[in-house]
Amino acid sequence: MITHLFRGQRRYLERGKRMKKIIEVENLTKTYQELKAVDNLSFFVEEGEILGLLGPNGSGKSTTINCLLSLLHYDRGRIRIFGQDMTPDAYEIKKQIGVVFQDVAVFEELTVRDNIDYFCGLYIKEKALRKQYVQEAVELTGLEEFVKFYPKQLSGGLLRRLNIACGIAHRPRLIFLDEPTVAVDPQSRNSILDGIRVLRERGATVVYTTHYMEEVEQLCDRIIILDRGKIIAEGTNEELKELTGIEEKVTVELKKIEDRQVEAIRGLEHVKEVTRSRNLLTIIYGEGTNNFGKLLAFLEQESVRYDKIYSERPTLNDVFLELTGKELRD
Amino acid sequence: MLILKTYFQVLKKYSGVVILFTAILLGFACFNFKTKDNAVGFSASRPDIYVFGEEEETGLSALLRDYLEEYANIRKPVLKDGGSGGDPQEDEAVEDALFYRDVAMIIRIPEGFGSDFLDGKRPALAVRSTKDAEASYVEMQLERFLETAGTLQQAGYSEKELIKRAREILWETVPATAAGSMDSEALSGATFYYNFANYSLLAGCVYAIAMILSSFRGKQIHRRTVVSGMNYRILNRRLLLANSLFTLLLWGLYVLISMVLIKDVMFTKHGLCYMANSFVFACCALSVGFLIGNLVPGKEALSGVINVVALGSSFLCGAFVPVQWLPEGVLKAAHLLPSYWFIQNNELIRKMETVDAASIKPLLINGAVILLFAALFVALTNLLERNSRRRRA
Repeated sequence: MITHLFRGQRRYLERGKRMKKIIEVENLTKTYQELKAVDNLSFFVEEGEILGLLGPNGSGKSTTINCLLSLLHYDRGRIRIFGQDMTPDAYEIKKQIGVVFQDVAVFEELTVRDNIDYFCGLYIKEKALRKQYVQEAVELTGLEEFVKFYPKQLSGGLLRRLNIACGIAHRPRLIFLDEPTVAVDPQSRNSILDGIRVLRERGATVVYTTHYMEEVEQLCDRIIILDRGKIIAEGTNEELKELTGIEEKVTVELKKIEDRQVEAIRGLEHVKEVTRSRNLLTIIYGEGTNNFGKLLAFLEQESVRYDKIYSERPTLNDVFLELTGKELRD
Repeated sequence: MLILKTYFQVLKKYSGVVILFTAILLGFACFNFKTKDNAVGFSASRPDIYVFGEEEETGLSALLRDYLEEYANIRKPVLKDGGSGGDPQEDEAVEDALFYRDVAMIIRIPEGFGSDFLDGKRPALAVRSTKDAEASYVEMQLERFLETAGTLQQAGYSEKELIKRAREILWETVPATAAGSMDSEALSGATFYYNFANYSLLAGCVYAIAMILSSFRGKQIHRRTVVSGMNYRILNRRLLLANSLFTLLLWGLYVLISMVLIKDVMFTKHGLCYMANSFVFACCALSVGFLIGNLVPGKEALSGVINVVALGSSFLCGAFVPVQWLPEGVLKAAHLLPSYWFIQNNELIRKMETVDAASIKPLLINGAVILLFAALFVALTNLLERNSRRRRA
């Protein structure tokens, strides 16, 4: 496991030398009394990429973001953004950053448009330009029909979209999104993820924090997995999945199977592991092609009766499980 | 401009409550003036009295009659036998006049009153009165006359010197004129208005400022502002400016209302004093708004706290009831509230005969106390903000 981790890091560091770095973090450490919330973290973010910070609750994602934004003092380390040291008074850096926090931060007393206009106005003084940017943010987040609504009149999903619009309306070069899809309906979630892709296409660099692995898989160019304040893995989606040594995972919901037949499956080509739990049989393949087809043929031949059978690629949860021995959502 | 514009957009949401506080003030002020108009209050009328005395009054008796004439109309009774004057001890007409309140008082100066008084005998005057306010007032003047004359007699003044000196002393203070009494009524109205404004101004200012600050400085919006390109100190300064502007506008509105309702007073030096006093208090209300806005988390709790602060201090300090009705213990406790000093100043302005350097000195002292309270609240707010910043880090 440790070897894999080092291999992934090496690839990552090599690429970092080639690309323009927007964020550089070196040995960042933040403690709360005895608890090390962030433990000697070092990473960088390249221009134009979407970096996912993935980890369970309490893994240090939000603390890292808060340190990056100078919202929290940290004990040790160095943070550089756009090549300059990030400090609470670094307003020139802050002007190029957009932040969408996990909790909705809008004025209840202002309409959707006035809210976006206000937060955009903290960065953009010119009225005409601001008007244009506000309109773009409204369109990007699909809030055209709700511009005159007050936040209390919006659903949870629309409120999240407003939260995002307020954070990105000023066209920042670097955007931090801290769990922006928590408690959001699927339709709004897709709309939010599409919006983030559009922002990247426009040239923004995005740091995306979440504990939803599916979102990270869909969205991020590169992923850093955190646990207990430490980086436990980093790389692209594919690179991380390589760490598991799993090529394919097939699950069979059985009606009936004999022990002899299970043993026979264990002996099939490329099968790495077979586990049985009540009527569920999980077969993990380490490599190979058409494993699923071959398994179907075997079950047919052995007249094994089953209700459902499906194949999955390894998930980031498998990566997390492999690296920490626990589920991502534990 | 962005902060100012957003401030007033947010304020719009809370303006209903501020208007309500203003309407309460306006309602009570109008009610107070209407009640005053209908009431049978003090007027400058001089009561009719009978004074019976020596055939030919000289010396002290004449002086007494002159003095009484300053405060009452000395009438001659029409007696049943057709004559008038004299000493109609038994005449029913005189008794009827008192019974039917045609006259407020009958004073009988005994024979030899002047000479006996100068001998130090203190002869008693026979006085009968209706015992009402008018009669009591004349009676007070009568006592004043006798005390003054008695003191001078004891000091060894001769009759001539005594009369001369007594005339100087007694005529020194001229009784209230009709014009003066009208001012006094208007001043009472102005005092009532500004005392009540203690509640409306405090509640209105604190409510709006605390609610708006709660919006701008709510945890999430604060975070979003801190990470933005705007310097947080500049934002704070602009918020202070916006809050000051709002306070100024609210104060201006209340002054404008008072100018319409009590124009007799508001365009005089007294009016200027009321305005200045309320301006100082408005500054203090601004600081209370900042303190409460920082101290109380959540808008739900804010409404309750504001009611307690505004209503509580108004009750304790005499904004709704005259200060003299309040128990001593309550008044002592009220010293710890800025409202007390504001209301004290209103009362002082009401009592001021003239506005000059000497008479406004106590007003300035009380005003300074109010500003000290404001400074204390500002210091507390800064302390709270510093602690809050430390906690966040």
